[in-house]
Amino acid sequence: MNFDAVPFPVLYSFILWAIVIGSATSIVLVISLMATIVSVGVRGPLVFANELGAMVGDLISLSPRRIFALAQLTFREAIRRKALMVFVVFAILFMFAGWFMSSSNLAPEFQVKIYVSFVLRAISWLILPVVLLLACWGIPEDIRLRSMHTVVTKPARRLELVIGRMVGYSFVGLIVLAVMSVVGWGWINRQLPVAAQSQLVCRQPIEGGLTFLDREGNPSEKGINVGDIRMFHSFIEGATKARAIWTFNGVGDQSLDREGNLLLENRFQAFRSHKGDMRRSIYFQYTFVNPETNVRVPYPLKTIDEGRGRTDRINRTLVNVGESADGKKYDIVNDLVTKSGQLTVEVACVDPGQYLGMARPDLFVRTADLPFAYGYFKAVACIGMMMLLVIFMGVSVSTFVKGPVATFLVFSVVMVSYTARDFMGKIVGDPFVLAKAREWSGQLDMQKLEGGGVLESIYRILWHMNPTTDLPVGASTTIMKWIDAGLVNFLWLVYRVIPNLDYFGQSMQYVANGFDVRFDACVLPCILTTLAYFGPCVLLGYFALRVRELEAK
Amino acid sequence: MNNLTSQQRKFVYLGAILLLLIPIIWLGMPADGTPDSGGTISRLRQQLDLGESDLGDLDPSGAAMNLALLGLRGVAANILWMQADEQKNYKDWAELRVTTESIIRLQPHYVKVWEYNGWNLAFNVSAEWDAVPDRYFWVKEGGKFLQRGVERNRRSPDLKWHVGRVYGPKIGLSDEARFFRRYFYQDPDPQYAKGPDPEFNNAGEDNYLAAKRWFQVANDAEKEQRQSIMDRSIFRSYPARSQLDYAAALYKYGFREEYDREVGDRKLTDEEAKALEIRVREKLKEQTRQAWALGLEDWTIRYGQELFAVEYLPGIIVQMRLEMGEDEIRSLGKSPDGIAQLRRAVDQYQKMNNYRYWRTRALCESEPETAEAHWALFAAGEEYRKQSPAARTFAEQSMALFEKTLEKYPELRDEDNFVEEALTSVLVWSLYMRLEGEKPPEMYPLKSLWEEKQERVPEIERRFERDSRAAY
Amino acid sequence: MSTTGQPREAVIEIRNLTKIYRDFWGRKKVRAVNALSLDVYKGEVFGLLGPNGSGKTTTLKMLLGLLFPTEGEIKILGQSASDVRKNERIGYLPEESYLYRFLTGEETLDFYGRLFNMSGADRKQRTDELLKLVKVEHARKRQLKEYSKGMTRRIGLAQALINHPDLILLDEPTSGLDPLGSRDMKDLILDLKAQGKTIVMCSHLLADVQDVCDRIAILYGGELKVLGRVDELLKTQNQTQVLSSQLTPAAQAEVEAVLKKHGAQYQVDHPTANLEELFLRTVQESKDRPGRRLIADDPANKV
Ligand SMILES: Nc1ncnc2c1ncn2[C@@H]1O[C@H](COP(=O)(O)OP(=O)(O)OP(=O)(O)O)[C@@H](O)[C@H]1O
Ligand SMILES: [Mg+2]
Repeated sequence: MNFDAVPFPVLYSFILWAIVIGSATSIVLVISLMATIVSVGVRGPLVFANELGAMVGDLISLSPRRIFALAQLTFREAIRRKALMVFVVFAILFMFAGWFMSSSNLAPEFQVKIYVSFVLRAISWLILPVVLLLACWGIPEDIRLRSMHTVVTKPARRLELVIGRMVGYSFVGLIVLAVMSVVGWGWINRQLPVAAQSQLVCRQPIEGGLTFLDREGNPSEKGINVGDIRMFHSFIEGATKARAIWTFNGVGDQSLDREGNLLLENRFQAFRSHKGDMRRSIYFQYTFVNPETNVRVPYPLKTIDEGRGRTDRINRTLVNVGESADGKKYDIVNDLVTKSGQLTVEVACVDPGQYLGMARPDLFVRTADLPFAYGYFKAVACIGMMMLLVIFMGVSVSTFVKGPVATFLVFSVVMVSYTARDFMGKIVGDPFVLAKAREWSGQLDMQKLEGGGVLESIYRILWHMNPTTDLPVGASTTIMKWIDAGLVNFLWLVYRVIPNLDYFGQSMQYVANGFDVRFDACVLPCILTTLAYFGPCVLLGYFALRVRELEAK
Repeated sequence: MNNLTSQQRKFVYLGAILLLLIPIIWLGMPADGTPDSGGTISRLRQQLDLGESDLGDLDPSGAAMNLALLGLRGVAANILWMQADEQKNYKDWAELRVTTESIIRLQPHYVKVWEYNGWNLAFNVSAEWDAVPDRYFWVKEGGKFLQRGVERNRRSPDLKWHVGRVYGPKIGLSDEARFFRRYFYQDPDPQYAKGPDPEFNNAGEDNYLAAKRWFQVANDAEKEQRQSIMDRSIFRSYPARSQLDYAAALYKYGFREEYDREVGDRKLTDEEAKALEIRVREKLKEQTRQAWALGLEDWTIRYGQELFAVEYLPGIIVQMRLEMGEDEIRSLGKSPDGIAQLRRAVDQYQKMNNYRYWRTRALCESEPETAEAHWALFAAGEEYRKQSPAARTFAEQSMALFEKTLEKYPELRDEDNFVEEALTSVLVWSLYMRLEGEKPPEMYPLKSLWEEKQERVPEIERRFERDSRAAY
Repeated sequence: MSTTGQPREAVIEIRNLTKIYRDFWGRKKVRAVNALSLDVYKGEVFGLLGPNGSGKTTTLKMLLGLLFPTEGEIKILGQSASDVRKNERIGYLPEESYLYRFLTGEETLDFYGRLFNMSGADRKQRTDELLKLVKVEHARKRQLKEYSKGMTRRIGLAQALINHPDLILLDEPTSGLDPLGSRDMKDLILDLKAQGKTIVMCSHLLADVQDVCDRIAILYGGELKVLGRVDELLKTQNQTQVLSSQLTPAAQAEVEAVLKKHGAQYQVDHPTANLEELFLRTVQESKDRPGRRLIADDPANKV
């Protein structure tokens, strides 16, 4: 994998979520209380409390039948308004797919990657705009045509209206998604060149933790940086004491293949500081280490296959002919894996003056593959989650602005999430964004962006002060810092309100690269993100529908 | 029509849509690069030799894309460019390849786009791979890509020149040249069964000859449309340069290439091998000499006699040829001022193109003695590796021949390449004598050169030893 | 109806209701309803009259909670206007048929039935019943976008009645209906009244109003101008009308003789549609003398 997939921090995220919801709700409540007082006078708090009570009342008197009726209405509306025309576009796109994929000379694993990501991307790019438009235009049209008048004058709660819309669009979206993904799956299977068919798998890796030894043999967190723009991979120097050490947990008999081989797959990279022997790639060596018994069993030298990766089927019985050569036979599972099921593999680069590059996901134990469809449909499910998220946001926003504005707003949120979210994260100091930035830059000590707040920066620019000079002490400085702090806090809230869409995209990368979509690092965050937005979106939509007059303005 | 139900009518419409699509596809399908492929429009375009630049935006897939993007072609292209950059940072080459393809669908008539992306594939992406066959694959990708660009932009001389550059210097001058040149006629991809990739080297020729053809095509196009790569006088020298490069490469790599090609999968006995070595050497001796002779002709007649109008000083344009004799200068220059000017211009341009060096080199290399000297030196090196006494004979032979050449062309004394070879021959000779424990005699050929250029000897020795260690 | 002087139960109480429409920037645009106070009693048919733009629809929408009053209070079925629970017992026919045009007649009624949490069987039965009642049974499977204006109106009425409402708000119920349809509508209203339902209707067809309404209010420029029982409002204090059918010429002469004997001025004529006169007069007077109002309500009707 091309990125470091780590388990989603559920508890941390939940607490954050609660804080964000709490502060956003309190802001809304305070503002609306003040608005009520301004408009109704002293009776304001009473009216406000009544309204709040009524809202809570609505919340607990939801009727599934009404929600279903509204959802069905939404569904019928979408279908009868020809939302399914998207299938035509889909079909046309696939008819002309060859136009985008004329380079059929690439190696099979790349073909797989290209075909799979084309299909998944096509699906998401077609489905997201469709649901975005549907979700953002439904309620405003309903209000504009006043058909909503006949609904809200029935006992249907406005809350049910919002939920019903969301459920209805979700149904439409899910049906479209289901059809598209099955067609796409069939298309991949039929269209993919025969040579590449065997590469259509869903790997089940056991990933390990990675530490390094530097060229003197001292432990270090990272290897050497050879000047990549993205410093995700770090390198170890050949013929020195530099090592990359992976520890895999949970290795046992079940991790071996049917013939009893351990499958180690790597994606090592090479960096040559001199031409060396060009007829072969760089040599590396695995050494299996059992830290409990101090047994070290080296495995024969192998050359890397840069850009493609290589899989070694390692027989479980290894003969020790290496440094500590005792000629004895060792069984990988019984002798080399610790009692707690941990397998340690040291990797060395053998060629002097050459460098071997790697990141944590670049070496893994490959357990029995699952059928491609397994991972594929998991990725589709993640796309589905993103689709639901867009629907929720669209419906919610469309309760207080008109269709075009709602569309633009949600679109912008998605765009900002893709383009500016990381930058904002660096300003407000989100540890995960910083971790990602560290992974990129290779700077392990990277901290949140410095330079003071907006006003401070303006001040410094105008007065030609560099960030190290202290600001003059005084009331104005204090006020400035206060305002800046307030702005940063506001930015924090905005940043937290914008959804993190990384996980949805990652799901495609897993399958395109031939891996299973990890549940804890991808599927779960997708589900949780969508769920996390469901409640707030419903409430926001409900609140907006309730406080507004249902008259086209 | 009226008595159809609405559902029936919808089916009729669907059928009609499909029917209409058939001619669109049939007409509009883009060609995939091979002749007579693609839809009717693109076939017609091929037949009538209508480059896009004549007709404007006619690429059907591009037009369809534009339509589909509601005119947001520019925005889409921008996004794709950014994506390509990101994919490069992620070393995601497969995706990069696809993105490149999409970019080109959006911007099929921007020569610079083809140029940049082709160069990116052949030079940058290729260099990111460790295995030489992989590197070669990406060089090919770049070359093929540029050729598709040529098809779309028939009249652009620039793209043609860039194709030539991939065939020529990229394959022949990179660190991996030894491998690339072989792969060019024996592709490492098993699907070509040890033959060349027909999409890249259909005729199975030498890379420099292919380059020469492309540079020639670029020159032809340049007559119609200006190129924007370099000074015109250099641009037009490339076919001739390729011929010279071809000759030089034959000497450098030819023996091993030819030998291995002859051997193929056979196993040879020592005698057979020896006989083959001699045969190949003899064959190459003639082949190289002829290559140089042709190179000389290309350089001095085809290229050297071309007329260039150059802006010698701001506002002063002179007509000149690189191969301009003193007489011609006098007769064309008219006034003493004009003569001086013209003379300086010719001199300057000759320097800029390294014209005289190549002329002398080609001239001398096309002499039978020089060819003899080269191959004697080559044989000396081979024999020295085997520590056979023939090394000394060959070395002495080449020393004598180089000495003769030097007498004939004294200016070669300051010419790096020649000096290196001449010194190498003395070096091999002396090394072998040292091996035998003999002292060099008082007098030997090339003595003065050897003594004069002593400071270069250690470097030449290093290089010789490295080359003789590196088994091909 | 009742003249017994018993206080009657008010279904709708409107106090000092004002609605000001504002534009996007919050600037006042129209004062659509101004300090309106009136009650509607259980079991009566109440007519809301007024020229175009006088605020009838606005008033109804405020009653339903679709619009929020700028000032004033509303109690409807004993609850506040913003309380959805009141909707259980209300039926509303909007001014124009704001229905979902992509649904069929049948689906429309089924959909609204479900909003009342009615069971499947109930819905089925009620749908059939209502379709028959409003006479669009033949088109039950066609989408509303194919309906004529009158047919849509009829479906609109059907959806308003789906829940057996106690209070029915009809905004111009007869607009777009053919003469037969208007007739049916009037019959239906009287029928509903007979079932003890309360009906509030806006209409411009004064003859219809006169026929079916017990009480009316006339709005002009958002203000209440006339409020009272139809019969009382149309009664002129110093005039007496004698109505008779099948009066023979001989009998007529006899009556005339009696009148002459008492020295009364009299005129023998056929009765005219008086509500129209009242309406026109009210509008004219409101134009000439803003601020005047005529409340002919029976004080005994006050709660
Ligand atoms: N959404 C709105 N925004 C601004 N002004 C409005 C709006 N709806 C109605 N009005 C104004 O309020 C006033 C009362 O309108 P309303 O619809 O209540 O009249 P009406 O009595 O129902 O008229 P009609 O007999 O034509 O139906 C009119 O002046 C109208 O222009
Ligand atoms: Mg109205």
